[in-house]
Amino acid sequence: MDKKTVTTISYLSRLKIDNENEQKIINDLSNIIEFVDQLNDVDTSEIDPLANPLEKTAKTRKDIVTAKNLKKKLLEVAPSANEDYFLVPRVVE
Amino acid sequence: MSWETVIGLEIHVQLSTKSKLFSGGSTKFGAESNTHVDLIDMGLPGVLPVANREAFYKAIRFGLATGANINQTSSFDRKNYFYPDLPKGYQITQMTQPIVEKGSIKITVDDYDKEINITRAHLEEDAGKSIHDMFEGETGVDLNRAGTPLLEIVSEPEISSAKEAVAYFKAIRQLVTFLDICDGNMAQGSMRCDVNVSIKKSGDKELGTRAELKNINSFKFIEKAINFEIDRQIRLIENGESVVQETRLYDSEKNETRSMRSKEEANDYRYFPCPDLLPVIISDKELKEIKENLPELPEEKEIRYINEIGLDESEAKIISSSKTMANMFEAASSKTDDAKLVAKWLVGDISALLNKDNIDIDESNLSAENFGILIERISDGTISGKIAKSVLEEVWETASDVDEIIQSKGLVQIQDESILEDIAKKVIESNPNQVSAYKAGKDKLFGFFVGQIMKETQGKANPKAVNEILKDLLK
Amino acid sequence: MISHKEISNKEVIQEVFSLINQFQDLNTFITLNEENSIKKAEELDNSPSNLPLAGIPIAQKDLFCTEGLRTTCGSNILNNFIPPYSATVIENLENAGCISVGKTNMDEFAMGSSNETSFFGNVINPWGKDLVPGGSSGGAASAVAAGLVPAATGTDTGGSIRQPASLCGITGIKPTYGRVSRWGMIAFASSLDQAGPMARTAEDCALMLNEMCSHDEKDTTSLDNAIPDFEENLNSSLKGKKIGIVKDLDLSNLDNDVVEIYQNSLKEFESMGAELVDISLPHLSLSVPTYYVVAPAECSSNLSRFDGVKFGMRSEDVKDLEELYVKTRSEGFGNEVKRRILIGSYVLSAGYYDAYYKKAQQVRRLIKNDFDNAFKKIDVIMTPTTRGPAFKIGSKGDDPIQMYLEDLFTISANLAGLPAMSIPNGNIENKPIGLQIIGNFLDESTILNFAHMFQNETNWHMHTPEGIKQ
Repeated sequence: MDKKTVTTISYLSRLKIDNENEQKIINDLSNIIEFVDQLNDVDTSEIDPLANPLEKTAKTRKDIVTAKNLKKKLLEVAPSANEDYFLVPRVVE
Repeated sequence: MSWETVIGLEIHVQLSTKSKLFSGGSTKFGAESNTHVDLIDMGLPGVLPVANREAFYKAIRFGLATGANINQTSSFDRKNYFYPDLPKGYQITQMTQPIVEKGSIKITVDDYDKEINITRAHLEEDAGKSIHDMFEGETGVDLNRAGTPLLEIVSEPEISSAKEAVAYFKAIRQLVTFLDICDGNMAQGSMRCDVNVSIKKSGDKELGTRAELKNINSFKFIEKAINFEIDRQIRLIENGESVVQETRLYDSEKNETRSMRSKEEANDYRYFPCPDLLPVIISDKELKEIKENLPELPEEKEIRYINEIGLDESEAKIISSSKTMANMFEAASSKTDDAKLVAKWLVGDISALLNKDNIDIDESNLSAENFGILIERISDGTISGKIAKSVLEEVWETASDVDEIIQSKGLVQIQDESILEDIAKKVIESNPNQVSAYKAGKDKLFGFFVGQIMKETQGKANPKAVNEILKDLLK
Repeated sequence: MISHKEISNKEVIQEVFSLINQFQDLNTFITLNEENSIKKAEELDNSPSNLPLAGIPIAQKDLFCTEGLRTTCGSNILNNFIPPYSATVIENLENAGCISVGKTNMDEFAMGSSNETSFFGNVINPWGKDLVPGGSSGGAASAVAAGLVPAATGTDTGGSIRQPASLCGITGIKPTYGRVSRWGMIAFASSLDQAGPMARTAEDCALMLNEMCSHDEKDTTSLDNAIPDFEENLNSSLKGKKIGIVKDLDLSNLDNDVVEIYQNSLKEFESMGAELVDISLPHLSLSVPTYYVVAPAECSSNLSRFDGVKFGMRSEDVKDLEELYVKTRSEGFGNEVKRRILIGSYVLSAGYYDAYYKKAQQVRRLIKNDFDNAFKKIDVIMTPTTRGPAFKIGSKGDDPIQMYLEDLFTISANLAGLPAMSIPNGNIENKPIGLQIIGNFLDESTILNFAHMFQNETNWHMHTPEGIKQ
């Protein structure tokens, strides 16, 4: 876990790490990774991953429209919106 | 130096379900902005997705029609990235267990056929829409489309020209519309595609570096974008530079592709199994039902038209190639005994009118009912083919009823021999010179007499009868 | 639960708010719901109802969305968020007649074991003004321990109900994963999160659980299995029932008092006719590292929706979209949350996925298999809930790993999806401590039975801090 890795994952996470904390964060993350590295002590070559404790099949929906028009409510909770759209600073493509 | 082009397509097909892939939000196109957004589409804290089973059924139809493997256990993964029209900060897709794998589809280019293999077709949710040009300094986000089910169809890199790419796209479009899993409406973005293009020296084994062209949504642009990109890559390499692996945006106005590297930097989607969704399992019974209810596909129709109805191959191909044409043909044929005549008119006069107005047959004024009756009136001798043309033109304009037109304009053909004979005699009496010239051996003049009779009857005389009568009288 | 028909519902609710007021220093609540609560109490007084929990004041963890009532999840990024909908748990309880008096303080996004990561400040443990209440459901535990409310909702991803219950001397249960709907629960780690009740007694927890559980079509991980009446089994005899004792568990590094209290409790159960059976959970020691891969991975993705675009807080004067994301998330999240998002992004990123995430998923299965085997021959498993009693605020410094090890005994139940609870079973220097009872899949009834029988024989659960009446 080095400076470069931390820069990459903080970019992927859209988090800024200010310089004064940087070293501490690098250390913390390294310790945590070192700590979880003990997982390598056990052989799992034959073991299927377990993503969820419920090994069941998912319930699914029928194809029915149930949603109401929540436009007003939703735009109200938005940090920035006009009467029709959520707004963000102009994205240039 | 000669180059080979290697192309792979990723086609995003909007599945025509009523509700979204993971919510009860409506998928209807063209609604007022942000009115079809459910709590789930919005990605509010604490909401949970529930998969729409119908989307699986539609995906499976595609799989069966392309002879693919159906994974009866398929699961969802998350693809993580930030964008304003991606409400949750991740897209739910199928990475490790797609519903459909290993199919293929036949394409036809000018003079040859080719089989293109389909790597996989998986379900995923569509994003919303970002509107960049409507507000000063700001981008507007409309989430109506967010969560609409997509079937992403990924081809093997086996396509070797822009033409083949277009043919492949057209074949997929034809198939999904026949399967009734997508409306195929390109203008509304119901089908969009990303194209991977690379070039390599002829004969080289390994592939060159590819560029991905994003979000192209018309046949024309696919061809242009690919051809531009091929030239660009060849130029690069021949100038000793090299192709970078990157995403490029096709600009249809400038007809060029340009780098979107800005968005690419250090991208890592961190796929992992979606912990909110357990695997979906499709039972053998469900699979069997879908198989049994699979609609008839173009190739099957073509063969049936030729063998059972007796159309010639060219007719059968044209009619079976479009769902609306095939529907019109089959509906009209049920109104008359002369399906072959239906086909003749469909590929002849009607296609001509369609081209002239540049519309699809289901947008025209011609109903299958009316069309069937028109053909019936020709084959039962009520009107002549010539009259039928004018009737068709009137229907085309006014959508009025064929029989009414025939009655109101008195277009019924004259069969009665005695009436025709009287007219013929008048014509002969009033043209003595032509008669003597004909009898002197000028056979061509026969047509002249026929013409005169048609003139007298405004074309309503039954031509066959007229011929016989004239032959008699001019002996 | 408290049957108080001699006074009106309104009086009860007014009493609750005057107590909350009196104990403000505990900082147990982030948002109060006074007006609506009194209104609902009046309605109940005017038209008495026979709903099972009619008029019972409940403190709701601020991780459950409540329609029209601010829901922060202990985070700055949601400090202005008013949900347009309510969690299924909230609806179930309110439909049963409960009155939601307010939203309790918690570690930010439930990431913490001391309530020190809340944007809204520490919660104080009523057992000592310099003590943490545990976490993440610290506000809930503190509110019940201080007698502000008879019961509260909590959530438990790695011990967030049981550890604060232990540190505050109350009873709390994490049901089987899938028993209680997660709809409207702000997700931390979706495959581990489970809501449950916190109250003074196992009996009260059973009453609450009866109403909290439901089959919810809005949550595909909500189980269809029949939901028993959790009260029914409370008084069944423990004769011949088998208690699994984990022999792989190294208690040597715990203080003697903890071990002694634990063993006294086991004796107590033996005297009620239960048998102790040695069991082996060989991979138990790997549960903490497994958890600290799985949970951060899921949270790094779950928390991506907090981007300042559609809801919640957005940083001022940002020049472009990229800055909007980075500034909003950097100002909106606290250090522990950031740390876990970063770890999650790391273990999921290309090249590390197999080494960490996939590996952890495989070890997770081994841990679950261990439990499946153990439960073939036993009814419950017992361990101490925590390594010790409540610790001093700030005493763990900022070494994350020290804090993570707080959850040593509790985490494995989340990884395996098993029901588990904590009940008060002793006192160290006038600080309570708890016993953990882990049950088999869907077998909440049995652990509630053990807990209730213990509480019939002991009165640790009735101990209250000085100056706080029962």
